[in-house]
Amino acid sequence: MASHIPRKKEYRIRQNMLRGVYEDNLKIIGKGREAIYKHRYYLPKRLLLPVLLSFLVIILQSSFVSAPYLPEKYLAQGPRPKPVLAMNADNSDGPSNYKEFIGTTGMPMSRIFGLGVRTIMIDPGHGGSDSGTTGQNGTKEKEIALDIAKRLRDRLKKSGNFNVLMTREQDVTIPLNRRVEMARLSRADLFISIHLNYLPSRPINMIETYYFGPSSDPKVLKLAEAENADSSYGTSDFKDIIEKIGQTMKLQESREFAISIQKKLFVNTRKENGNVFNFGVKRAPFVVLLGVDVPAVLAEVSCLSNKEEEIQLNTEQHRDHIARFLELGILDYLNKGDVTYEARRQTDR
Amino acid sequence: MKQGDKQTDENKLFVGIDLGTSRSSISASNNTREWTESYVGWPKDFIAQQVVGKSVLFGAEALANRLSLDLCRPLEHGVIKEGISRNEEAVKDIIKHLIELAKPAEGQKIHAVVGVPADTLKVNKLAIRRAVAEAVDSLMVVTEPFAVAYGLNLLNNSLVIDIGAGTTDFCIMHGTIPTEDDQKTILTAGDYVDDQLFSYLIEKYPNARFNKNMVRQFKEEFSFVRDTAEEVFVEIPVDGKMVQHDIKNEIKRACESIMPALTETTIEMIARFDPEFQIKIKNNIVLAGGGSLIRGIREYLQDALKEYGQCKVTSVEDPLFAGSDGALKLAKDMPAKYWDPL
Repeated sequence: MASHIPRKKEYRIRQNMLRGVYEDNLKIIGKGREAIYKHRYYLPKRLLLPVLLSFLVIILQSSFVSAPYLPEKYLAQGPRPKPVLAMNADNSDGPSNYKEFIGTTGMPMSRIFGLGVRTIMIDPGHGGSDSGTTGQNGTKEKEIALDIAKRLRDRLKKSGNFNVLMTREQDVTIPLNRRVEMARLSRADLFISIHLNYLPSRPINMIETYYFGPSSDPKVLKLAEAENADSSYGTSDFKDIIEKIGQTMKLQESREFAISIQKKLFVNTRKENGNVFNFGVKRAPFVVLLGVDVPAVLAEVSCLSNKEEEIQLNTEQHRDHIARFLELGILDYLNKGDVTYEARRQTDR
Repeated sequence: MKQGDKQTDENKLFVGIDLGTSRSSISASNNTREWTESYVGWPKDFIAQQVVGKSVLFGAEALANRLSLDLCRPLEHGVIKEGISRNEEAVKDIIKHLIELAKPAEGQKIHAVVGVPADTLKVNKLAIRRAVAEAVDSLMVVTEPFAVAYGLNLLNNSLVIDIGAGTTDFCIMHGTIPTEDDQKTILTAGDYVDDQLFSYLIEKYPNARFNKNMVRQFKEEFSFVRDTAEEVFVEIPVDGKMVQHDIKNEIKRACESIMPALTETTIEMIARFDPEFQIKIKNNIVLAGGGSLIRGIREYLQDALKEYGQCKVTSVEDPLFAGSDGALKLAKDMPAKYWDPL
């Protein structure tokens, strides 16, 4: 049964194993984490795509500043109308004006065009060889994200109104372009990617929600760099990507969707834990959000660099709560403009 | 191992602990080997305390007095269950109890290596560390199948399958400490067999009165896969009267229910490995844990894997102590300088 290894080699193997055990245990008690973190962000092979994306962002930034979120129809007409609608108070985001164009207030496109949301695609971030971030106690982003995603799926399925799909249901590596492809092929109507944040410099708990768009915030770009690391897109794909920026409507819808998710996640989480920070709705060049043709958001539902939060994330109850808040966010977005729902929401306040 | 690297200090007691869902064992450098069922019970009230005469009971004794106790099996699914404080308390008590069983000498410092399931999500290694740390002076946590492999000298080109109660852990050894990709945990293990058997028996004998503990005992006594010549009859009360029940088919079905997942995951683990070395691994598959005692399981797995080429599956000789013996070997081999910061 035992392996037949020369004694000298066996001695060397055992020494390496013992050192490995020692180093693993140092990591468990929070020593030696810095090295891992550095490794994660400074692998040269991972830099190519983020750098390209950064260029793309700079180009986009300038175009968005001169013509913020206008339908292409208006852009072609020359002088643009003044942006009029300010965002909700709980968003630090810029103005929007597609509602003026459509002549409605706060109603999702799907309702306007009588398009029901039938299929929701949930994307648990990372997986397989890509663990995402890891908390000081060893909790892995990929595992928590998957567990929350499954709970969200079960909740949405329970309502019987949606066909709910997931990009992964197990601990497997799936490149971002494959996730995008899955969303397309399954004709998903809504896409939500679930992630956990890690702030090495500030051990706080925070929540933020992203939709695709340019950003000049170096922290956001750094996060996008990490989340895009396994996209498997090649340089040649960028032409297509740039063309897709024209999908202003999708961006607007994604923004509305992100607002709902962030609001429900933050407000409800704060009821349970006053020490959570609202980092708001943001734009960021996440590849997984760009490639999907339907309203898509990336929610950083929690923060693993906060020790207390990491402990909480290891409880079923907390993960279930997060799934419930995400469900509330999805329903909030889908029911915007519905008179009955709005009335009930006003009453609930 | 060089003589100088060995831990020979008499003031130190090295212990290896296998913290299992169903049973936990300890092997110590003073040649003590003990085990206990992983149950902890605290008297429900003052009267119960008077009846049982202790403030905390363990293992079989706790099970025997369970009606008077708040009974806790803290390591369901191989990790500290939710509810956390009580379960951590229970783990602490089990560890304390095991160390008492190892009979350390007065003033001896305890250096422990503890084996935990290979892939934990809900509660991680730190939770185990937290629960164990109070009872020992220095502590290292390793995965259970790795401890088994180290103890049995399965350092290279082998696959250890540790079939426990809460989890089945797979671990490929290739001459270095196994990484996350080399290990996998599935929940189809002994408890899963219990659940299956329980439901089959309820279905077949709706009037019989039995509980999960009885079902677990039936399994431990009669478990088998494929076939067995002997009849399997057990006594179960019906309307207060003990009646003989034939449970052979149900035992077989329940035990075989874990085999598809076991076979598939074995193939998956082998397929992950470098193709050049896959043949070597296939010929060095080792079953450990209580599940390896299921009669016929070794042959069943070997036959199921045959369509993927020649393979050899063996079982460890002493599944109850294979994990703790391996952990003890790790503890004894560990250089002294590594213990200090831990």
